[in-house]
Amino acid sequence: MSHSNLSRRNFLGLAVGTAGAAALAACGTSGPSTASGSSKTAAGYWSLSGPPGQPIRQAAVDRFNKANPSTKITATFFQNDAYKQKIKTAIGAGQAPTMIWGWGGGGLKAYVDANQVVDLTDWFGQNAAVKQKLLPSSFGAATVNGKIYAIPIETVQPIVLFYNKKVFDAVGVQPPQSYGDILDLIPKFNAKGIAPFSLGGQSRWTNMMWLEFLLDRQAGPDAFNNVFAGKANAWSDPSVLEMLTKVQDLVKAKAFIKGFSSITADSNADQALLYTGKAAMMVHGSWSYGIQQANGGDFVKSGGLGWMNFPGIDGGKGDPTDTVGNPGQYLSISSKSSAADQAVAKKFFSTTLIDDAEKAGWVKSGGVPVLTDSASLFTGDDAQYLKDMSAIASGAKVFAQSWDQALSPTVAETLLDNIAKLFQLQVSPQQWVDSMNGVIGQ
Amino acid sequence: MTSLAPPAARGKPSTGAGGRSGVAWMALPALLMFLAFGLVPLIGVLALSFTTWDGIGAIHASGLTSWRAALSDPGLLHALWVTFEIMAISWLVQTPISILIGVFLAAFKKYRGFLAVLYFVPLLLSSAAISITFKALLDPNFGIGAGFGIGVLKQDWLGDPRLAIGVLIFVVSWQYIPFHTLIYQGAVRQIPVSMYEASQIDGAGRIRQFFSITLPQIKYTIITSSTLMVVGSLTFFDLIYVLTGGGPGDSTRTLALEMYQKGFMANLMGPASVIAVILVLVGLLLAQLLRRLGGRGDESMAEGV
Amino acid sequence: MTTTIKVADTPARETPGETSRVSKLPNKLLRMNWTGGGFGWIWLFLVMVPIYWIVITSFKTQANYFVTNTFAPPSHLTFENYKTVIDNEIARYFLNSVIVTAGAVVPAVIISFMAAYAIIRGIGSRWLRWMNNMFLMGLAIPLQAVIIPIYLIIIRLKLYDSLLALILPSIAFAIPLSVLVLSNFIRDVPRELFESMHMDGATEWGILWRLTFPLTRPALVTVTIYNALGIWNGFLLPLVLTQSPEKRTIPLALVNFQGQFGVDVPAITASVTLTTIPIILLYAIGRRQLLSGLTAGFGK
Repeated sequence: MSHSNLSRRNFLGLAVGTAGAAALAACGTSGPSTASGSSKTAAGYWSLSGPPGQPIRQAAVDRFNKANPSTKITATFFQNDAYKQKIKTAIGAGQAPTMIWGWGGGGLKAYVDANQVVDLTDWFGQNAAVKQKLLPSSFGAATVNGKIYAIPIETVQPIVLFYNKKVFDAVGVQPPQSYGDILDLIPKFNAKGIAPFSLGGQSRWTNMMWLEFLLDRQAGPDAFNNVFAGKANAWSDPSVLEMLTKVQDLVKAKAFIKGFSSITADSNADQALLYTGKAAMMVHGSWSYGIQQANGGDFVKSGGLGWMNFPGIDGGKGDPTDTVGNPGQYLSISSKSSAADQAVAKKFFSTTLIDDAEKAGWVKSGGVPVLTDSASLFTGDDAQYLKDMSAIASGAKVFAQSWDQALSPTVAETLLDNIAKLFQLQVSPQQWVDSMNGVIGQ
Repeated sequence: MTSLAPPAARGKPSTGAGGRSGVAWMALPALLMFLAFGLVPLIGVLALSFTTWDGIGAIHASGLTSWRAALSDPGLLHALWVTFEIMAISWLVQTPISILIGVFLAAFKKYRGFLAVLYFVPLLLSSAAISITFKALLDPNFGIGAGFGIGVLKQDWLGDPRLAIGVLIFVVSWQYIPFHTLIYQGAVRQIPVSMYEASQIDGAGRIRQFFSITLPQIKYTIITSSTLMVVGSLTFFDLIYVLTGGGPGDSTRTLALEMYQKGFMANLMGPASVIAVILVLVGLLLAQLLRRLGGRGDESMAEGV
Repeated sequence: MTTTIKVADTPARETPGETSRVSKLPNKLLRMNWTGGGFGWIWLFLVMVPIYWIVITSFKTQANYFVTNTFAPPSHLTFENYKTVIDNEIARYFLNSVIVTAGAVVPAVIISFMAAYAIIRGIGSRWLRWMNNMFLMGLAIPLQAVIIPIYLIIIRLKLYDSLLALILPSIAFAIPLSVLVLSNFIRDVPRELFESMHMDGATEWGILWRLTFPLTRPALVTVTIYNALGIWNGFLLPLVLTQSPEKRTIPLALVNFQGQFGVDVPAITASVTLTTIPIILLYAIGRRQLLSGLTAGFGK
């Protein structure tokens, strides 16, 4: 038994030692983080981590802190999905940071309905100079029930049709001018073993872009606006059924890369399909340019990347200059934060977030800032791209917000779920419509 | 002498009278910890299931509304089915393989140390690492299909509803088989050679030996390993979330994922709490089942545990 | 006296103090087990492929990553991923994970062991029966469901953003399954053993450690490994209950390499490699102990 006696003593000793060490190491901090909104010493600012945005966001905070030594903003960054979960948990437990980063629209409305964010309408009224520096189209997603609850920040991100010029040349075809052209191109690319369209289908919002464009081009913005307004059975609009059928026809015609339903946009595998020439085209957000540039070697530099607004449908009622996407990103102020912190946040809004350094930073990252008068900064290799994006964004009569951001999270989740099933050919268009009609206005 | 069951002659179980009074306090620390961080939140969840809440605003008591909503959702039954499917198939896959490899390793002498370390590496990798690795390897265009250039490997592994579950189970097994192999290895090494020698004299072949000697001797190990497998699979989340997100469509959406989707993505905390309560009940049921199998059985049961 | 099975050699080196038993049937037995052997080698291949992939990817640049064949060795070998990872304080995250895992698993197993013993030995007691059923309810608690109540409790206790915030709930969640497995095991210890020690004047505490502990070693080892795995890999608790980078654990650190628009796979594989190597070494060193722990000895 001596063997086990020894091990027992060792074990107990180890246990006590570990527990002690753990306790000592673990008691580093206690109490709610001083960086959270409820503290007196620093206003909290939570946002997304990673390139390209994090360095620019951090730089803004640093600039502000330097210019305002008597106050402090502490920035904490989280990965995209992790952020969504963390912010919800924090708000739900009453521990939100002073400044809440988000996508506006339905998500913002949920905060408003829960009285979690501050009404900024009057503040913007008193600070007209600030308002003028921001693109008017970006305020749509920040407005709930006629009042403004967030300041637009960062970049404007329309959805665009990208294509691989080299692949087009090799196959000997021209970029599509209309939806009919797209349909013609599909069999031509498939015959050469190239996927007509890359698609990160597992992410679902990537699939959604197709529905958004097809519906708009076919019927204009009214169909969706009715849904958004909560009109009963708004999805039963005949143009919706037509659009859904078109989508399934695309899937059946093998317009999308094989295996699209297990490719996530996060992995950038869908981007890679385009720059490696495995796919000819891709409908994606304007931020793709930066990714193609960074990961595609000299694909972009050598002029391999082409871009255009999604073409119109012959006989469709929609305006082909319309676009969809993210009209901006948004920063709100938590209504649970102290008056002092709210003042700090407002100062941050009116000084740093609209200054020239901010503008320059976002342009450099390959994006079109939500601040006005950025055109002069569009120089260098990316100039043409930025000019085109800016033109699309400002030239659009309708810049619709992505449906999953515009609708409430509950409806958005049902929407994405149904879209995934649509692309899997698991539901019929009529079933899709019925399911969505069931959740209108929730 | 088998392992994972105390070795001596199996006499009467250890229930019954004798020195009991001084024993109850020993369970106190566990009880307190569990009460504070397990039971109290659980009661909170039960309470939440009778409310309507979007996770950020005020909580509204709403009686059975959430229960009705959750129970009438066809997605719930589907999720239950998927959960059991995954549980059953992964048990069916992991247990035989672990036993066989465990038996193999218990005997195989050459390079045993080296092999054992190598075998165990999947267990030492974090789940996040494994999910990212396999997600990349299984990419339909850049993964193993393209890598090895073998046509049959170029499947839509995670995007085809028929393949996705199988692949998922493969990845789970990849991670956990080393663990169960280890347990079985220890168990098999406990079986006395004399039993095999005796049966050999009686003319038993290897297969006969396996079924008549090896398996019965490791019965308790099988139950312990199965308990861990089955109960563990109920709350399994991270791997599935990264690999398929519950898809394609909803073909791999287990109860845990359904709950996450309802609660954190659709902001329906009420119905999500209902699903959580259901999960707890399923776990309870399974535990009772396993206790019947795992206990010495009825003597212990009869004493009123 | 534990004996070995089947094969020619005994693991005399592995379990010191045992009598060696050399089987007289080498050839027949070496011809054995083609099924097991076959599986074994196939499994080895299946294990090696992803590991190989992880290692070579860690030396590729992100730009190159999709362009070349995923199994080809890197065309431009680069250490920049390792540099990125180390600059990102991977050592600290590793340490945090170790503290949380050890700090949770050890107490959890000990108090679960004590509770399992109490439940089995105190069979007639109504309290203990009630306690046992309570623990069973905790078997399948989905973490996502209870995370908000736990979050609130942690805030009230002023433990937010500390490693203790991770340790305490982890202990609580490990208890149900550990108690189940351990009590199943203890239940089969013959009563006579307890009685005989009792008659020698041992206290329950003494019986617990001098008799039950050695007999239950296999189950204890199993439960320890299982819980350690779960806590080491835990993502939700660190995400919600900590905030500052100093308190990050490894799963959170890995997620850090997922930018707003994409995943830096080579960086992730580099951090995976770095954090796994110490554990592999630990396992290689402690493997014998582990294996002997899994084989219960009695009456040595």
